[in-house]
Amino acid sequence: MIRVLDPTNEMKTAGAAAAPRPASLVGKTVGFISNGKEGTKGYFAHLDRLLREEFGVADVVWRTKSNFSAPADKHIVDEISRWHAVVTGVGD
Amino acid sequence: MQLPNKPALTSKIYDVDGFAAAQELYHSNGWTDGLPVVPPTEDAIEACLEWALMPPDQLIGIEPVREQPITAEKLAINAVMAGCLPMHFPVVATAWAAMMQEEFLLHGTTSSTGGCAVLVIINGPVRLEIGANGTFNALANSDRATAVIGRALRLSLINLMDVRPGGIDRTTLGHPGKFSYCIAEDEEDTTWQPLAQMRGIPEHTSAVTVMAAMAPRQIMNEWTTDPKEILETFAAEMRANQRHYSIYGGNYAIVIPKQLREHIQGAGWTKRDIAEFVYERARIRRAEWGDVGKGAVVRDRGDSVYTALDSPDHLLVVAAGGPAGGFGAVIPPWMGHKTKAVTAAIGACVDCEPPKG
Repeated sequence: MIRVLDPTNEMKTAGAAAAPRPASLVGKTVGFISNGKEGTKGYFAHLDRLLREEFGVADVVWRTKSNFSAPADKHIVDEISRWHAVVTGVGD
Repeated sequence: MQLPNKPALTSKIYDVDGFAAAQELYHSNGWTDGLPVVPPTEDAIEACLEWALMPPDQLIGIEPVREQPITAEKLAINAVMAGCLPMHFPVVATAWAAMMQEEFLLHGTTSSTGGCAVLVIINGPVRLEIGANGTFNALANSDRATAVIGRALRLSLINLMDVRPGGIDRTTLGHPGKFSYCIAEDEEDTTWQPLAQMRGIPEHTSAVTVMAAMAPRQIMNEWTTDPKEILETFAAEMRANQRHYSIYGGNYAIVIPKQLREHIQGAGWTKRDIAEFVYERARIRRAEWGDVGKGAVVRDRGDSVYTALDSPDHLLVVAAGGPAGGFGAVIPPWMGHKTKAVTAAIGACVDCEPPKG
């Protein structure tokens, strides 16, 4: 028999809980955080139209990270609390 | 026998029936790179920690984006799995401390579709102590020490940061350096200053440099002894990388084996002279993208000039390779200057303060 050890990071960071989901997007403000890559332009333009026309979103705020491989800049993160929902994701 | 005051290991323990069962445990949990691993037993982990004079809970650092703490115990487990002996462990721990510096952008470089690997360059007396070989086959399976140190970084990224293909690691292609990518500079057979000293580490001090690196691109020019002509071939390969991969400037490494090195050294050129020459020569106009099928993104900036290096300081010149052959290698950065190479002395505190914010 061999006694061996777990190689994974068993320590968990405090993390954060997800905000409550909005029941409806009607009249709400939605923020987009783009990574700035070429493919995001068409994707977010389509989503912008969809959210306004089909989900009644009042305003869509577009923001782009200064470095597509790093977390969002602080000034963008600071804005998030003024939005009702945020969409961020990978575009390549 | 465990001494009463010896801090205990705290990782979860698994009892397995033997070597083969240990392999299946690690493979089935996604804890390997696909190759067999050395079973990480308590004795082996304790030997690594004792060699490095580290208690198990010593914090090597905290990854700044996902805020994952990296402890000596967890790192030692992965190092043993990779095949490390205790004497290799301080190199692994220092490389991790360097990778966690913000400018390295560990999360971005290990999660990106771009698929770079972490290149480790070892300098100083530790190379000789651990038998790291900077001559024959320098960029590949040159010796035990560099093979297992490079592999230890990959296994620990997989297990401590969840950098698994399709998980945090979103790489499209990758390259074989993601198994292991570690070289030692051949300091004994060159008149040039070691890389670590060029980057501010005191003389005779062991150090590692980490760089988010693409695959090596091999060049050949054995038909001249003129340093400018030799280095023009290196610069041309960097220009090719700018055209075909990324136009943006960053840390490039060039590896110069003995045959070409002797011509350059013999003409009195230092590493600084090389860097200044290459800085001037490795640059392209954005319009050149139009020659390689990327005309759509030239736009109205065709005359803009892009240097492969933001400054001569950004070239990492490494003396390594077998004694014969007019070859060399250009190792491009992952993505321009979004990541920076980091050099750290072994056995020194790189960043004793936890990351801010």
